[in-house]
Amino acid sequence: MITGAPLILYLALGLFMFTTGVVGVIIRRNPIVVFMCIELMLNSVNLTFLAFARYGLWYQGTTDHGDISIMNGPMMIIFVMAVAAAEVAVGLGIIMTIFRLRQDIDVDDMNLLKG
Amino acid sequence: MDTSPFNIIIAVLLLPLVGSFLQVALGGPVIRSLGVVKGRKAMGWLAVLPILAAFIVGVYVTGQLAQTTSRDFSVTYFDWIKVLAIRIPFELKIDTLSMTMVLVITGVGSLIHLYATGYMAEETDYPRFFSYLNLFIACMLILVLGGNLPMTFIGWEGVGLCSYLLIGFWYKDVANSKAANKAFIVNRVGDWGLTLGMFLLAVSLAINYKSLPVKSDRFLSYDVILPNVLQLFTGPHAWMATVAAILLFVGACGKSAQFPLYLWLPDAMAGPTPVSALIHAATMVTAGVYLLNRVHILFLMSPFASGVVCVIGIFTATFAAIIAFAQTDIKKVLAYSTVSQLGYMFVGCGSGAYWTGMFHVVTHAFFKALLFLGAGAVIYAMSHEQDMRRYGNLRKYIPITFGTMFVAWLAIAGIWPLSGSFSKESIISAALGDQLAAFGGSPVSQICGYVALLVALMTAWYMTRLMAMTFWGPERWRELVPEAHGHDHARHDHDVPHSHAGHGEDIHGFFFTDEEMAVRQASEPHEEHHGLTADHQPKEVPPSMWVPLVILAILSAGAGYYLNQNGLFEHWLYPNGLEIKAAGEPAEIVPGTGLTLLTVSTVAAVLGIFFGFLVTLKGGRYASRIGWLKDLAFNQFYYDKTMMDASVKGGGEFGRALWQGFDVGVIDRIVNGVASIAGGFGSLLRKTQTGFVRGYALLMLAGGLGVLCWLGYALYQQGGGR
Amino acid sequence: MPSITITPDLIVFVPLALVAALSAIGVVALKNAVRSALCLVLNFFTLSALYFNLRAEIIGITQVVVYTGAIMVLFLFVIMLLNLGAPQLLAEKKDLKIGAGLAGGVILFGVIAGTIFPPLVSVNVIHAPTKYGEPATLGHTLFTQFVWPFEVASILLLVGIVGSILLAKRKI
Repeated sequence: MITGAPLILYLALGLFMFTTGVVGVIIRRNPIVVFMCIELMLNSVNLTFLAFARYGLWYQGTTDHGDISIMNGPMMIIFVMAVAAAEVAVGLGIIMTIFRLRQDIDVDDMNLLKG
Repeated sequence: MDTSPFNIIIAVLLLPLVGSFLQVALGGPVIRSLGVVKGRKAMGWLAVLPILAAFIVGVYVTGQLAQTTSRDFSVTYFDWIKVLAIRIPFELKIDTLSMTMVLVITGVGSLIHLYATGYMAEETDYPRFFSYLNLFIACMLILVLGGNLPMTFIGWEGVGLCSYLLIGFWYKDVANSKAANKAFIVNRVGDWGLTLGMFLLAVSLAINYKSLPVKSDRFLSYDVILPNVLQLFTGPHAWMATVAAILLFVGACGKSAQFPLYLWLPDAMAGPTPVSALIHAATMVTAGVYLLNRVHILFLMSPFASGVVCVIGIFTATFAAIIAFAQTDIKKVLAYSTVSQLGYMFVGCGSGAYWTGMFHVVTHAFFKALLFLGAGAVIYAMSHEQDMRRYGNLRKYIPITFGTMFVAWLAIAGIWPLSGSFSKESIISAALGDQLAAFGGSPVSQICGYVALLVALMTAWYMTRLMAMTFWGPERWRELVPEAHGHDHARHDHDVPHSHAGHGEDIHGFFFTDEEMAVRQASEPHEEHHGLTADHQPKEVPPSMWVPLVILAILSAGAGYYLNQNGLFEHWLYPNGLEIKAAGEPAEIVPGTGLTLLTVSTVAAVLGIFFGFLVTLKGGRYASRIGWLKDLAFNQFYYDKTMMDASVKGGGEFGRALWQGFDVGVIDRIVNGVASIAGGFGSLLRKTQTGFVRGYALLMLAGGLGVLCWLGYALYQQGGGR
Repeated sequence: MPSITITPDLIVFVPLALVAALSAIGVVALKNAVRSALCLVLNFFTLSALYFNLRAEIIGITQVVVYTGAIMVLFLFVIMLLNLGAPQLLAEKKDLKIGAGLAGGVILFGVIAGTIFPPLVSVNVIHAPTKYGEPATLGHTLFTQFVWPFEVASILLLVGIVGSILLAKRKI
């Protein structure tokens, strides 16, 4: 029986990073920094996934081809990374376009949706 | 009851209707094909013949009726209204009252139609006139033949409509249209009373259905109402008789031009003279008296209502007589005379002797129609001049007209043995002897009787004035200053406001107001069509016009004597007598002097004639002393002006106030308010759409927190407090 | 208070966790965008080390290559391209949002922690098989069980490429 650091510490760290990211999204006015906070949030989720996968609370089998459900965690992380990459590419392209048009990237000034 | 010989009575209704339709349908083609003169002659005969045929049918039916014993039949054709509890069939009632009226209407009507073919010979819209006239006869016949109140009401409204159409016949002159409107609208006020009375009767009968002696679902038919009312409106329900009677009397006032609602009749003189003769002398205005005779039981049961009828009748008679003194237009004098005589008829009815009212209707139809037609002949002879101050000594020029109008004049003045004297005398004697009409016990009809004697004197006086100004005296039109055009009577009466009754007329038959006439004269200075110039020679009227005059003169002379023999008319009309008897006539007027009513009334008439001649031909110096009264009388004591201002302008102001205050102020505000409330909500909610990204993020966080809290709570509960 | 057994994992974990937390705060709190980005880079490296600590080596390497090496480089390129790092460009004024945001964050932490943590306080036994973090296992799973999401993700990446090129071009 292998014992590692308590699971709860990993979860606490992940939650802390997530909360920090949320606060950052609300507080910061620079859209690049907002984006980075979003990345922070995604990473916190990755950490959480992996921690749960490692501690496999429900898992009873092996890594044989028969029962591979433990790999759901790492798989999720791979796909989150892929999506994050694509998202960053497109998002930064949008930010660049806006900057080209307006010469100003204060998030507060982008209120064309104001009704 | 075998009613088969009476089924033909429908022909009386259908003949004028068909005539009216034929005028419309064939008028244009016939005139176009036969040419104007012959075509109009053809259409004229086509208009007179249906009425004559109806008269002949009427005579036949009356003969049949006289041979029966009950003299009261009803012919039903089909059910007009049948709803739940009430049934109103299309039924015609054939009894002595309705047949009397039918004979008068078709007889006098056919004579007037014949007259009109001559009088309107130059009228461009010839067929239209006669179609309206035939339609009028048809509606009037429905009115008198109707066997229930709604049928009478159909006729009532129909004659109101035809009156409107005919008064406004020369509609291109706006004053005529206004007069027509006035007639129709004032009649409407009367119709309101009539309708309410109808409803009251129907409802009261329906509510008390169980205790009715005659049980039927035809609640508004006369043969159901009258016996039931006799039993029902007694004791605690007696006030309903009064209310119903007064409401129906309001309707009668509207049609028969009694005091508050008379003001349409003088303005109605704007129509052609045959119209004035037929509608406003002989037939339509007597519809009120007919109605009172139909429902006489209601009035007999209510002394108060009879008193009201008496008082209003005599007041109208006096009021109109005073006004007639000051009029200068010959037709206006006759119009006010009609109003006054109608008041007489109502006095007769109010005194409980309803047959006297009908008697006066019949004799009045003869001599008043004769007077109007004669006046028309005079106007025709004097090139459509209506101002009596331009007449004089016309007996030299138009002898036949003079002769017939002489007879009519004596008849209306009440000289024995002409017809008017018998009918007036019967009314006055009924009033003096009556003990029915009372206001809370004090006898009203005696006072009305004495006033009626005074009015008889006034009637003789002003009619003599009319005759003297027209047929005697100097030929005043010779004193006209010759102008390039003859219509200079537009100068007169400018400072005295009164309603226009047609001053100038051109060959096309249209009357114009003074201002328009002045404009026309200014633009056409040398038109010589119908000028009344100083060297005008009046000519006698053509035979189509004086034959009816002669016939009517014979009737005016002899009818009264004939009908009064042994109370022939009274027993004919009410063979079983009246249900509630009024007292008989007194033998002496002033006890102790031996004066009978006959003597007193004849003396009054002769005095009136004497004063008439005296004042008119010789008494110019008295004129200035009572000038104020003359002006007042000329303006109808300002009653007309007040009423018109109050209703027309007052109504306009009221409508405007309602519009501003209520429609715009309240309703528009409510509607717009609702809209602005919706808008307000919208703007309130709009404030959440800030476009502020960080704000949105904050809201998302808050929302997410809410969901998580709830989730945690649910898990907590599920886990049992873990 | 559960007893804490000191394991090598824990000894490695604690400093790494502190660094990760501090750099996360740094991302949010630093005014200069470039410094923010660099803090994030540090955070990512720390995370990678933590992944190694969790014996998921392949994930850790992928983290460094993709996140730190590509995404953060892209971020830094954009910041420098648009010259957005100058602090005076955005003078963040004090407004209520900061207070609301902090409060919200604290509440969020509290709510989730309160819900999730109590049942898991004493978990520290590892049940994952030893080889779960090896590349062979990942590859095998990726190309057998998750082949459909793999293909879709590749299309997604293609779309991202096309989109970003389209957005960044001067002329279409």
